[in-house]
Amino acid sequence: MVFPKRAKLILGIPQALFYWKQPFFWEEFFQNLGFEVVLSPKTNKEIVEMGVKIADPETCFSVKILFGHLLFLENKVDLIFIPRLKTKRMRSQNLYYKSQEVFEYCPKFFGMPDLAKILLKTKILTFTLDEKKERIEKTLEKFAKTIAKTSKNADVKKAIEKAFSVTNQKEKEAEESFFQKAKSEKKKIILISHPYNLYDEYANIGIKRKIEGVGGEAIFINEIPSTSTPNLAPRLHWEFGEEIMGKINTILNYDIAGAIEISAFLCGCDAVLKEFVEREFKKHRIPFLYLMIDEQTGEAGIQTRLEAFWDTLK
Amino acid sequence: MKYTFAYWGNYTIAIKTLLEKLGIDLIPPEKTSSKAIEEGSKIAPELYCFPLKVNIGNYLVAIKNGAEKVLMVENVGGSCRQRYYGIVQNKALKDAGYNIDVIVLKTSPKEIYSKIKEISGASLLQIWGAGRFAFKKLRLIEKLEKIANYLRPREKERGETSKFLRWALDKIDKVKDEKEFTKIKKEILGKISKIKIDRSKKLPRVGLIGEIYTVCDESINFGIEEKLAREGIEVHREMNLTYHLKKGIFPWKDWQIQKKIMPYLESTVGGHGRDAIYEMLHFAKEGFNGVIQLLPFGCMPETTVRPILEKIHQKTGVPFLSLSLDEQVAEVGLQTRIEAFAEVVNNHFIKYNK
Repeated sequence: MVFPKRAKLILGIPQALFYWKQPFFWEEFFQNLGFEVVLSPKTNKEIVEMGVKIADPETCFSVKILFGHLLFLENKVDLIFIPRLKTKRMRSQNLYYKSQEVFEYCPKFFGMPDLAKILLKTKILTFTLDEKKERIEKTLEKFAKTIAKTSKNADVKKAIEKAFSVTNQKEKEAEESFFQKAKSEKKKIILISHPYNLYDEYANIGIKRKIEGVGGEAIFINEIPSTSTPNLAPRLHWEFGEEIMGKINTILNYDIAGAIEISAFLCGCDAVLKEFVEREFKKHRIPFLYLMIDEQTGEAGIQTRLEAFWDTLK
Repeated sequence: MKYTFAYWGNYTIAIKTLLEKLGIDLIPPEKTSSKAIEEGSKIAPELYCFPLKVNIGNYLVAIKNGAEKVLMVENVGGSCRQRYYGIVQNKALKDAGYNIDVIVLKTSPKEIYSKIKEISGASLLQIWGAGRFAFKKLRLIEKLEKIANYLRPREKERGETSKFLRWALDKIDKVKDEKEFTKIKKEILGKISKIKIDRSKKLPRVGLIGEIYTVCDESINFGIEEKLAREGIEVHREMNLTYHLKKGIFPWKDWQIQKKIMPYLESTVGGHGRDAIYEMLHFAKEGFNGVIQLLPFGCMPETTVRPILEKIHQKTGVPFLSLSLDEQVAEVGLQTRIEAFAEVVNNHFIKYNK
């Protein structure tokens, strides 16, 4: 790859979609490799409007948000990072699944760097993560060697290790907060969605704040420790499907008042996932609310539906 | 037990023959009507893709006619939602109060064999025979479709080709014997060459690309091939069932496609996303006067590649139209868009080919 000549390259990472799959990981990784990392700001109105204008009208809302972030970074940085995430080997707390099962990411992730190349003039930095062929550490090592200033093996390995330790730390914190929340006496509501919907407060219209406002305790699905695999008849072949269904299996052992699934408009995967999630909660007679978010979702509408849902809880 | 399956354009005939020859008691699906689509959309998950809703509509009609079980294939589209059709359809039908099972056929030869054995008890020889006969029919149907696309815009008496095609398909449908089929094949091919056409006509050409189900089923795409022919446009379509089956058996076709589209897309996106780009590049290179992409609303692979197709359109100057189909699309709206696009195609033709 040919890079512009500068002491420290500025790398832009959009804080959307793939970023939230491994939050804090990529910035740590690239900083350790000697890049200056610029994150796009949290999603706001302008970013969404930019994205909606440029994106294909029929792709999902999450992709539209990502395009907004990319347009924000355009011309502000030397390189923009978008990985091509294809498959993932499941692991929990650094322990690999016994069966070494490999799951796919959403197919929209597969072509993301190519779409970005069409959209932007800024150079795209990308690599393919396919754990069917190679473990993530190996892939990262190879990728790091092609872009890093230092060619020393030890430095590269250290950078990767450091980045992993940061995400592990965050995962641990999330789990601790879960056990605290589980002890609380407030009514507990599980929020089920992809991490890029849960952590993006603009996209989900501050649903967590709203639940706490009506006096509930909001638990994100990915805070739940993954201790069991789903007992589903047909296993989903998507990594988030495996993760979410497994975590639902865990959470059913706790006392929860209700569950809310948040889905981005036109998310193809959620159309499938919803069927299974709904079935699971219906079986256990837990109230279930399905919320759709898109660029036209109004705050008042969500508030009303949430309050109505709150009143149905026992 | 009476079985049924989903309707899919003219290929229904071949699928029907295959299942009948296997000795399965069958209630064949009726041609998809707007009523069936409406009924299907009522009980299907709202945001699921359009073909699933149409399928359920087909089943509902068949259930009224006495079907008790449904056959559905799984995982034919790579990493797309087709994988879950059987399961989700099963759930939707059960939730709506129908006591009917959707049997999922996985696309590995071993599993298909064991399932067929379980359902009908057909021997391996019988399966081979049924497969061969069905494939023969399929090839003839596809050939006729291709010839019809050439004849339609050139025919002297308007509507003759379509009328003939309907007659021929009916004939093919009714043949139960392989020997008789050979005779009828000869008769059909002999007759189709007698349709009077104006050979000297030079016509603009349009390529049809996109999602296989919508492209191949004329009851879903409102007979787009006929509509274009009426505007005096010759339609070309690479996508058909044989193309798909071939790709399933010989994976190197995919590698070739990947090699060709490398500058635009470096990975699969599920379904026939790569094929759409490949075909569009092919049509642009051949000097076609337009490309139409058909897709079900919100189809994941096709919407992902659409910006790339638009980029190719900008680069090469081939007129491009993308039509999303769902239960709310009206025929009149589609007609207007096609007519407008035909104008663009004709202008392109006059500018570059005359």
